[in-house]
Amino acid sequence: MNKIEGGKIPARQLTAMLALSRIAPFTILFPMITGMEVPQDAWIASLLGMLLSIPFALFVARLGLRFPDKTIIEYSERLLGRYLGKLVGLVLIWYLISVAATTTRAVGDAYTIAIMPETPILVFMVVMVFLAANAARCGLEVVGRLGEHSIWIVLFFLILMFILPFDEMRFKNLAPVLARGFRPVVEPMGTAFSFFSMHIIVLGMILPYLNKPKDAARYSVYAILISGLLMTWLAAVLVAVFGPTVSGLVMPAFSLSRLISIANFLERIEAITMGAWTLSAGINLALFLWASAVGLAQLFGVSRYQPFVYPLGALVVAFGILFYESNVDMQIFFEFRNIGVFSMAVTLGTTAVLYLAALMRGKPSPRMRR
Amino acid sequence: MLEGLWQLLFRRRRHGQDSGKTQTGPAKEQISSKLQVNYERIKAAFGNSPDLVLRYLEAGDQGKISALVVHIDGLCDKRLVSETVVEHITDINHKWDSPEQAYVDLRDRLLSVSGVSEVNSLGEFITHVASGDCGVLVDGITRGLACDTRAWEHRGVEEPTTESTIRGTKEGFVESLRTNTSLLRRRIRDPRLWIEELKIGRISKTSVAIVYISGVAEDKIVQEVRNRLRKIDVDSIQESGHLEEFIEDAPFSPFPTILRTERPDKVTGALLEGRVALLTDGTPFALIVPATFTMFITTPEDYYERYFIGSAIRLLRIASFFISLTLPSLYVAITTFHQEMLPTPLILSIAAQREGIPFPAVVEAVIMELIFEVLREAGVRLPRLVGPAVSIIGGLVLGEAAMRAGLASPAMVMVVAFTGIASFATPVFSLAIGVRLLRFLLIALAGSLGLFGVVAGMFALLIHQITLRSFGVPYLEPLAPVVFSDLKDALLRAPWWALNTRPKFVGEKEPTRQAPGLRPKPPSREEKEVHHLEGKEGGK
Repeated sequence: MNKIEGGKIPARQLTAMLALSRIAPFTILFPMITGMEVPQDAWIASLLGMLLSIPFALFVARLGLRFPDKTIIEYSERLLGRYLGKLVGLVLIWYLISVAATTTRAVGDAYTIAIMPETPILVFMVVMVFLAANAARCGLEVVGRLGEHSIWIVLFFLILMFILPFDEMRFKNLAPVLARGFRPVVEPMGTAFSFFSMHIIVLGMILPYLNKPKDAARYSVYAILISGLLMTWLAAVLVAVFGPTVSGLVMPAFSLSRLISIANFLERIEAITMGAWTLSAGINLALFLWASAVGLAQLFGVSRYQPFVYPLGALVVAFGILFYESNVDMQIFFEFRNIGVFSMAVTLGTTAVLYLAALMRGKPSPRMRR
Repeated sequence: MLEGLWQLLFRRRRHGQDSGKTQTGPAKEQISSKLQVNYERIKAAFGNSPDLVLRYLEAGDQGKISALVVHIDGLCDKRLVSETVVEHITDINHKWDSPEQAYVDLRDRLLSVSGVSEVNSLGEFITHVASGDCGVLVDGITRGLACDTRAWEHRGVEEPTTESTIRGTKEGFVESLRTNTSLLRRRIRDPRLWIEELKIGRISKTSVAIVYISGVAEDKIVQEVRNRLRKIDVDSIQESGHLEEFIEDAPFSPFPTILRTERPDKVTGALLEGRVALLTDGTPFALIVPATFTMFITTPEDYYERYFIGSAIRLLRIASFFISLTLPSLYVAITTFHQEMLPTPLILSIAAQREGIPFPAVVEAVIMELIFEVLREAGVRLPRLVGPAVSIIGGLVLGEAAMRAGLASPAMVMVVAFTGIASFATPVFSLAIGVRLLRFLLIALAGSLGLFGVVAGMFALLIHQITLRSFGVPYLEPLAPVVFSDLKDALLRAPWWALNTRPKFVGEKEPTRQAPGLRPKPPSREEKEVHHLEGKEGGK
């Protein structure tokens, strides 16, 4: 077997990368994900979405551990046969690219709306994708280290951002809990889950490159816990600060950082927020570009994945522009009936099909059976 | 990518690879049995240089055997030559019958210098003479003797000028390799301090010493250093910076991947961690490999002051590193694109200052930074006596006049000045130079894309730094990949009694460096009582 990616990373870096790559889209897109209908209960939806995605992560890891030295693209071909397997692989790669495109667009939108309205969005998208593509070309080890290095910075500033506006928080705003029952929470929960599952699917690509593939399940759960709890806390803080009107704000997390004012000196730290977003979005993009490029190389039996990275980056930018006509368009996309169905169909669908096929093909490889 | 471009633009025709290697002249020639022939050849090899001293001597009691003494005036101790070499050859008490007898007698007994080595070819003989040895040839013998009489004028050990500390040794390396190795030996008195010496440079034949502690340094790293040094095939090595460019990992990076220092204590500290040092003859700067980024922002003083202070100062230094890198670009970005980020009174006052200035903030920043760089360069090159004048003209007159003339705002002058001061706080000059260039890049990015540009630039630098390696060790080692056991001495310094292990990548061979549990504790109650009683008894 020729090695397309030579590096091996410790599972710790997996946690960092997965957690980081969720943080940016979550904090930017927050109200669209879980808070549109009943903002008071957004935190419940986030929490439940997080809890739901834990079994899914365990499931993906379990599937991957049947083939501890193969990526999801490779074993889908082995399980489903040449043509069907390649088709599933293509669907997954398409999915990865479109998720990356959405992230790019979201961050680009954030920049044009909040900070530099006169600069064309293309500038932000191209620069970010270019940087991420360069990181992706250097290999998984570099992306992993990037994640491991940046997560401390990002977590520090985000937690600071979520704690400092304490004098503005009115936790009474969170009441009444579940005023309209569980029904309106279900759909946002589904959206939150599909958001998590977007990133969990990358685990299928990373797993064979871990030092100890067995750690995959545990460490991806850590990642979900880190980002999920952060998101739950963010949902609660935003409602506590802004009240139910939060669903009308375009980027409430950004407005939150504008509110911070300590001693008339430490204020307007939204630049730091933007920095944290850029870092985490950049790592997200690097990871997804890496995964889709390696996937493509394996699909077509090419010995190097690097030549695919820049073209895929160009696709990501183009899709980011073409998919959404405007911010509102994106908002509509994030309703459950769109993103939830799309995302779940791909992630749950492919993994379920693969798992069934694996069961039918018989016992897992003896090495991994204990 | 860059390397490909480089090759495309500057690809050279390849000549026969070894064309320069074949030396002409007496390199391979045997020593002739006729003294006269050798005399002529040596003289020709040096081209009649006046500092070459050649002398025929008649040896022994009968004067039948003749010998030739060769040395270079100024490279050896003349008294040593006359007392230990010339006197013994010309002593008439020796009864020598054959040249062979005389030669063996001289070699084994009479030449009373500690180092005498036998050479077989004329080329080798000449190299010895050129490096300060005193050569002896005996008529009829095709071998020669080289006596170690090297001594030359050199600077004494002084305080290092580029890395001064308040506490810690005041000794710095000098230009003489032997003195430098002795400075290291005096600090590590263990036979495991191994020194390998090799000569680099077809013409200069500069001595380069690889120094490491055997059993602590990783064999792979030492071997890698040896391999890289052996590959070097140049005419001369002038300075360790010259050497550095041939062996560094990232020739296109603005960040140095090899640490250079003038301080022996810094070198011994690195050796004890398992690193390898390279000393080059003729320069006081030693190289340390593998070097990681955190080594460039530490000074020996961090380890000598108490750890609270050491850590606090180190944090301050890291902060000033980032200030020197980003402050002007942040100022440009905020005043050009994001005025809303400053408190209103401040932005009003900045806007009022910028009222009469004809340039955008980017241009202003680039101009002021350029002026500052020119001032700094002038300050380094000028004769010492004129130095203060430059700082007065530059610092006071130019800054003040620029503001009055409406070329720069006071805020910008302050930003530039603070950036400059902050960059002086970077302890290793080679890192500070790289940052000077990157600063301009970031200013340009800030001027075109605002804060996004700065963030993108920093992100690019981070990616770049993460891809770097120095002799196999990741450049951002304890930070990315995170090595928890090494974080004790990265951004902060833990107290000495907690620094139990060597850094992971370089010191795995012998990981522990001290006994555990060395933390000093106040004496327990019982011990106190014992002391108390003892004191009483002593008093009786």
